[in-house]
Amino acid sequence: MRLRPAAAATVVLAVALWFVPEFADGFPIFYLLFAYNVFFWIAQASSWNLFTGSSGYFSFGQGAYYGVGVYTVGVLVAKRGWPLLPTFVVAGILGALLGLFIGLIVFRLRKLRGEIFALMTLAVAFVMGAVARVSSTIDGGQGIPLSGVELPQALGDFPAMIFRLGLIVATLAVLAAQVLHHSRLGWGLFAIRDDEAVAENLGVPTFRFKMMALGISAFLASLSGAVHSLQISYVTIEDVFNIRVPLLVILMSILGGTRHWMGPVVGALVVYTLNDRLNAAGLQDVSDLIVGGLLIFMIVAVKEGLYLRARQRPLRAAIGFAVGIGPPIVLGLTDSAITVMAYGLLGAVLLLMLPVTAPVEEAVPVHG
Amino acid sequence: MSLLSQAVVSGVLAGGLYAMMSLGMSLSWGVLKVINLAQFSFILLSAYFTYQLTVSLGIDPFLSILVCVPLFGLAGMALQWVFNRIRISEFESLLFTFGLFIILESLAATVWTADFRRLSTEQNPYVSESIWIGSIALPVPQLAAFVAAILVAFGVRHLLRNTHFGRAVRALAQDRDVAVAFGVDNGKVSMQLAGLAAGFSALAGVFIAMSRAIFPGLAVEWFGIVFSVVILGGLGSTLGTLIAAVIIGVVGAVATVWGGPPMAPLAVFLVLIATLLFRPEGILGAARRDT
Repeated sequence: MRLRPAAAATVVLAVALWFVPEFADGFPIFYLLFAYNVFFWIAQASSWNLFTGSSGYFSFGQGAYYGVGVYTVGVLVAKRGWPLLPTFVVAGILGALLGLFIGLIVFRLRKLRGEIFALMTLAVAFVMGAVARVSSTIDGGQGIPLSGVELPQALGDFPAMIFRLGLIVATLAVLAAQVLHHSRLGWGLFAIRDDEAVAENLGVPTFRFKMMALGISAFLASLSGAVHSLQISYVTIEDVFNIRVPLLVILMSILGGTRHWMGPVVGALVVYTLNDRLNAAGLQDVSDLIVGGLLIFMIVAVKEGLYLRARQRPLRAAIGFAVGIGPPIVLGLTDSAITVMAYGLLGAVLLLMLPVTAPVEEAVPVHG
Repeated sequence: MSLLSQAVVSGVLAGGLYAMMSLGMSLSWGVLKVINLAQFSFILLSAYFTYQLTVSLGIDPFLSILVCVPLFGLAGMALQWVFNRIRISEFESLLFTFGLFIILESLAATVWTADFRRLSTEQNPYVSESIWIGSIALPVPQLAAFVAAILVAFGVRHLLRNTHFGRAVRALAQDRDVAVAFGVDNGKVSMQLAGLAAGFSALAGVFIAMSRAIFPGLAVEWFGIVFSVVILGGLGSTLGTLIAAVIIGVVGAVATVWGGPPMAPLAVFLVLIATLLFRPEGILGAARRDT
C-alpha cells in the first residue's frame, strides 16, 4: 500500500504531539486535558463517520459502543483486576461484536434497512443500559468506582498519559478513515451509499463490506470509550448509555462534513471547543439549544459541511477566524488561549455558514 | 397467578397508551416518509401542558385535551409545511427532528426543571380511581387511554379506507409521484395527516400526565418501546400498531413481574429482534397492509 501524503502528515503530526507533554513543564495541565478531550471526540466522530459517512447508514448507537468500552474497563479492570492495556483491546473487540450483532440482524432485511438500522441503534444504548442494570456482574444499578484503576507509569503522569493514549486512539481512527477512503472497501461503501441495489448488481459484496466497516467503527468507538474511562472516577449507567455521545458525534460529523475524513476532525474541534467554553461560562443550559439548532441549520443549509466549504472558500474561513480573535485580543481576554481560539473558530464557522453566491456549481443537488 | 393476570391486564392497558404514542410515528413514517422524532417532544410537552393547565387553572385534566390536541395538531401541520417546503428526505427528516427533539427537551427542562412533576390527587382524582373486575384493578387513566386508542385506531382506519382523504393518503403512501400526477394535493393531504399524527401524540401526552410522574428525560425512554411497536405493527398500519402495542405492553408487564423493572426493555427488545428476523413486514404482513 502506497503511503499517502495525508497519512504521512497525520503520523508526523502525531509523533510531534507525542513529545508535547515533555515540554509542557510550567504549562497549565488544563491544556493537556483539553487537548485529550479534543482527541477523544476526534476519535469518536471519526469512528462514527467511518461507517455512517461512507455507507450512508445512519447510526445513533455511538453511545452504546462508547459505553461498552467504559464498562469493559469498569468490570474487568476495576472489579477483577485485569491489566489495563490488554483490556483496551478486549473492550474494542466487545464493541465490535455488538456492532456486528446489530448489523447481522438489520442488514439481512430486504426493505427499510437504513431506517431500521437508524432506529435500532437509537434503541440499543437504552437496551445496553437495561442489560447493565439487570446483571450484577456488570453494574446491577450501583455504578462502579473507577478511581482505583492502576495507571500505566511508562506514559508519564496522569495528564501526559491520558493525552498520549487519546492521541494514539485519535490517530488510529483518523488513519483508519484515510485508508478506508482510498481502499476497495471505501469505494464499495460509497457505491452502497449512492445506490445499494445498483452496487449489489455490480458485484459489490454489500453485506460483507457493511459488516467490516461497522466492526471497525465500533471497535474504535469502544476502544476510545475504554481510554476515556480513566477520566471518569465513578461510572453510572445514566452517565454512559445516554443520548449525549451520539448527539454530539452526529453534530460534529454533520457540521464538519461527512464526505471527507477531515470533516469529523474539524467538527470535533469546533464543537468541543465551543461546548467547553459555554460550560466554562456557565451556559450549559443553552448549549443543548445551540446543538439542536445547529444540527437543523446544517441539514437545511450547509449539507456538504464546513470542511468542504472552507476548502472552497479558504479566504472566508481565514477572515472569519481573524475577525473572531480580534475582539478578545483587543479587550485583553487573552488569559486563556482556548477562549481566543473559540472566538476564532466561531467567527470562521459563522462566516462559512453564510449563503454561498455561486449558483452554478451549487445548483447540483448533493446526493445521499 | 392473580399477580400474573393483573400483570397481563395492566400490560394490555399499557398497550393502549403505547398505541396512542406510536400511531403518530407510524403514520408519519409509513405514509409521509418522515421519521418524526419530534412526536416524542409533542407527547412530552402535551403532558407538561396538561400538568400546567391543571395546576394553574384547576381544571379537570381531561379538559386539557381540548387545548393540547388542536395546539399540537397545528404544530405538526406547521412542521410538515416546512418539510414540504424544503423537500426533506427521509434521513434528513430524522436528523432535523432529532435536533428539534433536543431543543424541545432542553426547553422543557428549562421551564419545568429536571424534577419529577406529578399531579396531586386533589387535582387529578382519576389517578387513584380504579374499576374493579373481580380482583383485577383497571386504573381509570390507563383505561381511558386504552379506550381512546381503540377509538382512534379504528377511526383512522375508517377514515383511510372510506373517505376521499383516506384514498388520497393511501395513494401517496403507495407512490407519491404517481399520486401527485393523478391530482392528489400532496401539500394539503400531508399537512392534514401530519396534524392528525401530532394530535394523537398530544392525546397520549394528556393520558401520561394523568397516570404518572413526568420529567424531561422521560421522552428518550420511549424511543425503544415506540420503535418496537411501530416495527412490529408494520409501518403505517393502524390496526397493526394497536395489536403490536398490546403485545409489547403485555410482554413488558409480564417481564417486570418475572424479573423486575429493568427486564421490561430487554424483553421488548427481544420481541423487536424476533420481529426483524422473522416478520420484518410487521405482524399483519405486507398483504394486509391497507392501513
